[in-house]
Amino acid sequence: MSFHARNIHVSYGHHQALAGVSLHAKAGEVTAIVGPNGSGKSTLLGAMTATLPYEGEVSLNGRSVAGQKPWELAAQRAVLPQASKLAFPFTVIEVVQIGLHAGTAGAQTDVPMHALARVGLSHYAHRNFQDLSGGEAQRVMLARVLAQVWAPVQAGTPRWLLLDEPVSSLDIAHQLQVIDIARDFAARGGGVIAVMHDLNLTALFADKVAILAAGKCLAVGTPTEVLQDDILSRTYGCTLRVCAPPGDERPYILPHAASA
Amino acid sequence: MVAISQTGLPPKTRYAKVRSLHWVLICALVVCAGLSLQIGATDVQFTTILFKAASGQVLSPAEQVVFFDIRLPRLVMGCLVGAALAVSGAAMQGLFRNPLADPGIVGVGAGAGLGAIVAIVLGACLPLWIQEVTGNQLVPVAAFLAGWGSTLLLYRVSTRNGRTSVATMLLAGIALGALAGAISGILVYVADDRQLRDLTFWGLGSLAGASWAKIVAAGPMIFLSIAVASYLGRGLNGLALGEATAEHIGIDVQRLKSIAILTVAGATGAAVAVSGGIGFIGIVVPHLLRLATGPDHRTLLINAALVGAILLILADVIARVVIAPAELPIGIVTAVLGAPVFLWILLKRRGLVEL
Ligand SMILES: Nc1ncnc2c1ncn2[C@@H]1O[C@H](COP(=O)(O)OP(=O)(O)OP(=O)(O)O)[C@@H](O)[C@H]1O
Ligand SMILES: [Mg+2]
Repeated sequence: MSFHARNIHVSYGHHQALAGVSLHAKAGEVTAIVGPNGSGKSTLLGAMTATLPYEGEVSLNGRSVAGQKPWELAAQRAVLPQASKLAFPFTVIEVVQIGLHAGTAGAQTDVPMHALARVGLSHYAHRNFQDLSGGEAQRVMLARVLAQVWAPVQAGTPRWLLLDEPVSSLDIAHQLQVIDIARDFAARGGGVIAVMHDLNLTALFADKVAILAAGKCLAVGTPTEVLQDDILSRTYGCTLRVCAPPGDERPYILPHAASA
Repeated sequence: MVAISQTGLPPKTRYAKVRSLHWVLICALVVCAGLSLQIGATDVQFTTILFKAASGQVLSPAEQVVFFDIRLPRLVMGCLVGAALAVSGAAMQGLFRNPLADPGIVGVGAGAGLGAIVAIVLGACLPLWIQEVTGNQLVPVAAFLAGWGSTLLLYRVSTRNGRTSVATMLLAGIALGALAGAISGILVYVADDRQLRDLTFWGLGSLAGASWAKIVAAGPMIFLSIAVASYLGRGLNGLALGEATAEHIGIDVQRLKSIAILTVAGATGAAVAVSGGIGFIGIVVPHLLRLATGPDHRTLLINAALVGAILLILADVIARVVIAPAELPIGIVTAVLGAPVFLWILLKRRGLVEL
């Protein structure tokens, strides 16, 4: 079971955002996509979720994504966008329930409450979503996404979470909580694809890391293989020192002064 | 690790509570309908008629005419038009993801009105077979087509990459309204006397011309639009999260938008065709309902239909009594009551600067 993008090209007008990127993510694993701003990470997720027109081939659990109906796809994968906004003053629990659109019986189940509890916000259920802080709103959106694929994963079928910068506005405790949720999801057989900026967190929770830069995939592999001084310095154009503790501990990265 | 509080309680949402509200509203509608039948320029009273009917007495010809040919069609048309305007407002706000989108404000009403005017003035020039096919539906159908065209155009102009710009929407609405007004102005010169009377009465918005013929003409399209709209609730809720997210949670966004646009055009077009430009129902009713019961479109759309009908009936009663025995065009009443509410909405609206 896998989420497979082959040779993806995406152009916005004359600007080519992706030039032949491939990504192979396996169920049961957390796959992280890292890279500088504007390198095409969100664009890659957009292609994989059929949100953008793209050239190339995307297949989900062995079936091509193109031509599948929105509700068929929604039953297999949930997507957390980089930024969310809400047009009307829905409460938090209502927002989470909206995510259950695909499962028709969903609104009557307690899945939304469980999902909210999972992100530590069950006491926020009846607050107005539009009043939340940035981080709180992001966690509610994560709960919404979890609710969408919750039931099937519990039943043991591999489903997918596609997360675009799920921890970008969270405090450290909640960053770890999200990582815990993602690991747990993968441990139950689901697949997670997450766009990340924090390399240390990425090293901590990813099974596989893909590095994008300027619309191309520079490297793919385990965190230890990919997170190397030279690769990172080349990707980001600044000096980064990767420290690899002895044994099979995960590497960690220290920033240095800006000039290379 | 952060402690996870497990409440174990089932999620109690507003939805469950609000779902039963429509029974209350239906009762309120019946009461208002009674009031509307009771009050009028002549002293024919609904209660007397009910009493006579119950005791098997014959109604006088005057009573028959006042009741069956004036008050009853007026009541039915008020219900239909009020429901249609409120539902099309709610659906359009859901579609544009903006509480300020209202067919009357963004020019769809004006567009539909232009369609109706064209049909009134130029309808007789159409080939005979078209006139035969459309019959008395010609004006509502023309209003619907023009309303559909303007909604479509408006959506195209104001939405880029799945984002709707409110500023563009309102400005495009002004342009549409001005264009429709200009073309209508030209047509006024072509119109004969009878048509001219139709047109002037009609620009103000009124239920005074209510007749069974008009109800037969507009009723089916309004019923159909409201019935379809009541199935859009889930989709419009999803759309509140943006087009991309709506697609991700399994909504066929393209189809949803097409159906919503057709619904808005159908309800607005039919309402405008029979009653002219009655404003503010489409924005005030959904807004008050959202304040009272939350923005869930699954209940909002149906409750809006009921509240719209109630409000328009009441406005009509006011229109008939304030300067009795003459009467005000109802559009004046809804504007006097609705415009301040609209300004208040603008004042209260969060994120006004983001416009
Ligand atoms: N709608 C758009 N129209 C034109 N260009 C776009 C559009 N969306 C993205 N781009 C461009 O495509 C490139 C890739 O954008 P993308 O959003 O995928 O970056 P990203 O890797 O997600 O960056 P970030 O880390 O800032 O989120 C950027 O150069 C961006 O300017
Ligand atoms: Mg991005």
